Amino acid sequence: MELKITNLTKEFGDFTAVNDLSITMRNGVYGLLGVNGAGKTTLMRMLCTLLRPTNGTITCDGKEIFAMDGEYRKILGYLPQDFGFYPDFTVQDYLLYIAAIKAVCPAVAKKRVKDLLEKVGLSKAAHKKMKKLSGGMKRRAGIAQAMLNNPNILILDEPTAGLDPNERIRFRNLISELAEDRLVLLSTHIVSDVEYIANEILLMKDGALVHRGTTEQLVATMTENVWKCYVEKREVPQLIERYKISNLKTDSHGVELRVIAKEKPISDAVLDEPVLEDVFLYYFGERVGEEHAAI
Amino acid sequence: MYFYIILEKGLVRNMLQFELKKIFLKPVNKVLLVLLLVITLIGSFLAIRDVKYYRGDEPVLSGPLAARQLKKEQKKWEGPVTEDVLRRVIQENQAINASAETEDIGFAQKQGFADLQDLICAAFSEPGEYEPYLCDTISPDKAAKLYERRISRLKKEVSEVEEGRTGAFSQKQQDFLIHQYESLETPLYYEYAEGWKALLDSQYLPTLMIITIVIIGFFVSGIFSDEFQTRADAIFFSTKFGRNKAIFAKIKAGFLTITVLYWFVMLLFSAVILGVLGIGGAGCMIQINYSNWESMYNVTYFQEWLICMFGGYIGNLFILTFAMFVSAKSRSAVLSIAIPFVLSCVPMFLGRVPMLTDFMSYFPDMLLRINKFIGDFVFCEIGGKVFGIYSALVPCYLVLSFGLLPVMYYCYKKR
Repeated sequence: MELKITNLTKEFGDFTAVNDLSITMRNGVYGLLGVNGAGKTTLMRMLCTLLRPTNGTITCDGKEIFAMDGEYRKILGYLPQDFGFYPDFTVQDYLLYIAAIKAVCPAVAKKRVKDLLEKVGLSKAAHKKMKKLSGGMKRRAGIAQAMLNNPNILILDEPTAGLDPNERIRFRNLISELAEDRLVLLSTHIVSDVEYIANEILLMKDGALVHRGTTEQLVATMTENVWKCYVEKREVPQLIERYKISNLKTDSHGVELRVIAKEKPISDAVLDEPVLEDVFLYYFGERVGEEHAAI
Repeated sequence: MYFYIILEKGLVRNMLQFELKKIFLKPVNKVLLVLLLVITLIGSFLAIRDVKYYRGDEPVLSGPLAARQLKKEQKKWEGPVTEDVLRRVIQENQAINASAETEDIGFAQKQGFADLQDLICAAFSEPGEYEPYLCDTISPDKAAKLYERRISRLKKEVSEVEEGRTGAFSQKQQDFLIHQYESLETPLYYEYAEGWKALLDSQYLPTLMIITIVIIGFFVSGIFSDEFQTRADAIFFSTKFGRNKAIFAKIKAGFLTITVLYWFVMLLFSAVILGVLGIGGAGCMIQINYSNWESMYNVTYFQEWLICMFGGYIGNLFILTFAMFVSAKSRSAVLSIAIPFVLSCVPMFLGRVPMLTDFMSYFPDMLLRINKFIGDFVFCEIGGKVFGIYSALVPCYLVLSFGLLPVMYYCYKKR
């Protein structure tokens, strides 16, 4: 399975959400990282044929996905960021309906729904109405619906948003488990999610791909260092002004900072090993893209 | 290949079932369904209660008891309304007038032939008027010329109206009307028909049709827009059938909902009324009732019922299909919920403006009020040929309803 994106551009009026993006993806988990407004959702919606690109092409094993139409969507599983459902349906009915519109034959659908409900831990809630589910349960129902047709391409847009830590860990493990023999594209701005499960991380900024690679490869692209230091509270505002601070921990004596800088920010700062969160901060700063958060 | 076709059929059936579930599981729709049932039963009850039997100085009977008494009285007058019968009506009326102690007692004694009396009054009153006591003064021989009077009065009436004025008739319309009048087979046959009169001659039927449309509007208006309102559209459109068969399933679900609910309400309403008051008189021409005396449609009560029901269904189908189309196009349930109300009620009021009357007679609400207009001269002219308006409206809106379906499909598919 090869999904090839070539010179993909999507414009909304005079705003360019995705800008001349090219990438080829094969089986494996791809983590799409970027701040709000980077164009992740727009890219995913184009990959799901929900939006038509202004320019460029997307091909699946050499065939244009919009021309493939239903044949492409047959091998696609999608969990949107804003997961909508039918509130009066039970979980089981909801999944059986989605299975039907995914062209899964009724007998197979029944078995697959049962298996997936077990897998996502919703067996006991099968006859509960969708509107009565908790946020985490809804997300799990969401991943189950995405998997109903056993898709070759699984696109998950912010799947862990709004989940508590336990749910997130469970979700990550589930995605890892589902990722065998398929292409999974996972978008998030929760860095640790992709750090744990993605084979390759794609950094997106202002609609373009900034970097791609494993955590180690991305860390290696940083031209600044990560420093750990302990300062008094009154010094913090001044340091925030001058440096990118990737972590800040306060106790009764002072504040422990994690600073990204070329040179030592203060004399007693010590070098630390960079992690993916530092890379994220290094490339995206702290407030980038807030004005286009919905895109 | 064959297996694949069977499999797809199964999936389409499955999708349809779930679409119907989406509609009928909504709490508000459950409440509306009960409300529709209650309104239908109340409407039937009120229509039945409107049948009255007067007993002189004693309290008036209504409903099934009244119907039973009327049936007994009218049985004596059952048969073809010949010249002899018409003479007998006048003689009997005058005899009762002479013998009855009070007017109320006299009125009660005349109930067996009151319908025939009404016919004579309608026929021999001046155009546009109705003289209720005309039978007291008219001679039996003059009354016997009822059918000739119907045609001669029409001829006089249509030729007297000046061309260019509201209500004026073109030569073709005059010819059409006279032809229709002359085609009516006389003598008319008379028998007890209170069930049909309660069903077709009251305000309840068109009112119920409008209420039914407005309520079904709630059911179908969300079929398309709910995908967007629940934000389920992203998943729906990213599935294999999301842009083809699943949309068909939605259209089918809408069509089924409109059809089943409409016929359920109308058949229940008819069954309750006819079940209680009886189906006698089904074969009588509608002109036997004085309110339809001038009708240009030569049909029986049963045929009128079929026309009203089928025409109402087409009106219903068009208005609600249009509401679904608006839902698919605008993604707004609120806007599409307003459509049934606007299309079924607003033209009715606008039609009262003399300037707009003719134009408004082409609107689909006319199909919901066939029983109210079946006695009126509302025409349309196509290719130089004159028709009663319903001969044009029924096929026209039937074609438009089915013509909207592919438009709706493509609008939603392209979203």
